[in-house]
Amino acid sequence: MQTLMDLLCSWVSLLPFDCLQLRFMQEAFLCILLCAPLAAAAGTQVVNFRMSFFSDAIGHSAFAGVAIGLIIGVSPDWTLPVLALGIGLGIMALKKCSSLSSDTVIGVFFSCVVAFGLALASRIPSMVKDTQVFLYGDILTVSNREILTLFVLSVVFYGFEIFSYNRLIAIGIHEQLARTHRIRVTWYQYIHVGLLTLVVVFCVKAVGVLLVTALLIVPAAAARNLSRSSGGMFWFSVLTGLISGVAGLLISAQDWAGTAAGATIVLCACLIFVISLGTGLFKRKRKI
Amino acid sequence: MSHNVHQCCCGAHTAIRLENLSVKLGSVQILEGVTASVPYGMCTAIVGPNGAGKTTLTRTILGELPYKGVLEFGDRERSFSSRRPRFGYVPQKLNFDRDIPLTVLEFLASGLVRRPVFFGISRSFRMKASEYLESVECLKVIDRRLGALSGGELQRVLLAQALMQEPEIIVLDEPAAGVDFKGEQLCCELLEKFRRELGFTQLMISHDLSMVAAHASHVICINKKVYAEGDPAEVLTSDALQATFGLHVNGIVLPSREGGCTCKH
Repeated sequence: MQTLMDLLCSWVSLLPFDCLQLRFMQEAFLCILLCAPLAAAAGTQVVNFRMSFFSDAIGHSAFAGVAIGLIIGVSPDWTLPVLALGIGLGIMALKKCSSLSSDTVIGVFFSCVVAFGLALASRIPSMVKDTQVFLYGDILTVSNREILTLFVLSVVFYGFEIFSYNRLIAIGIHEQLARTHRIRVTWYQYIHVGLLTLVVVFCVKAVGVLLVTALLIVPAAAARNLSRSSGGMFWFSVLTGLISGVAGLLISAQDWAGTAAGATIVLCACLIFVISLGTGLFKRKRKI
Repeated sequence: MSHNVHQCCCGAHTAIRLENLSVKLGSVQILEGVTASVPYGMCTAIVGPNGAGKTTLTRTILGELPYKGVLEFGDRERSFSSRRPRFGYVPQKLNFDRDIPLTVLEFLASGLVRRPVFFGISRSFRMKASEYLESVECLKVIDRRLGALSGGELQRVLLAQALMQEPEIIVLDEPAAGVDFKGEQLCCELLEKFRRELGFTQLMISHDLSMVAAHASHVICINKKVYAEGDPAEVLTSDALQATFGLHVNGIVLPSREGGCTCKH
């Protein structure tokens, strides 16, 4: 593991950027190479199926996850994903069996979880520092284990996307139609929500709770402006995610910038979105 | 594209058998004691006023809703089972995000092929989709965005998708709604042609009684329960039916049907 990381880091150091000579920057670079395209790929479905509020709610469950970990004495690395999974699947289950609209269901879970996290955090004085890390993210302190986890998650998530991207489109267009055409809608929905939850949770480390949704939806939104086919949107989104991730990380490390990495990455993605908005409008006008 | 099945139009076999079927949604009884049958390989129409439970009935048949009573599916050998046959379904309205980037070809692929559309669509599937779109006379939309289609075009794409499922039973919820007269006539003629070729059973909801008279060979009139069932010539002109539904059906011309079935049962 260690030798593999050393090898990868030495490859990164070959890139012609001064800032990439530092070990922690090399690790951050590897992390963003995994994280940004993963979030962007997940984002295509988040944007097309209107789930951005859902991913926001999952991101905000990070506080409660960390607080529970500190109270029961288990590492937050475990309590955070477990709680998030519980909330993600819980939202899905409640949406299926109640007559409430999905944004109401998510809103209720959202406020529950945030209030719970804040209540716990206010009891524990040492929590303040941890909260900061999760609010703003800290990609520069990413550990080898976190990179490995992200790699495994990426493999699983891309595998699932290859297996079921088409089926998710069919379900997103019309659930009942998909069901009568023999697609196991419920099964796909739960697995998708579970994996999406894990993607959000592991991206919190990179950009923080406040910006994690942006990492998912901004590249996908830019891609949606530019593409007319679903396959095209997927690749545009992954590419946008990758470019903004790498560019954001490198810019944030420059002396003249000195900004937080997470925020800079999201700003780069937003810039691409603005450009895509202009291009999209121009295209539409020409068509008419 | 053809299946080797019994294709006569005699109605001696039953595709769907409903006995004393009741459906309750929340506290509202939508269907009560519905007993009816849908003949195999023919076109059956469900008619009734608004709120009569027509859509509920089809959704129950499709397995979407819980019910009480008997719902069985028959095959050519006249044996019944509760095993669901392969359905093709054309919904009344496809409420979807019209701005979604998705081409017609991708939409057709979404329910049928595993290879994700971001890896491209195989040439063989493109050929197959073209064949079906051509048969519903809508080949030109294959690379258009799904959201940019007109109501009639979307209806035909949905019909093509349902046919591509190679269904045993095809269910249409008001196929004529939102389509002009010519489109509607074309839709019915196409379905009749496919039914002869592929031998599926067709079940449709319709408001348009002249269309029912022209194309259906079996009619089920419901309003919470079954009021009448049988040949359109008898059902649609009965006085009792007019009184119940308040329909003006005097003007409907019933076409004569081609010769009876020659097969032996």
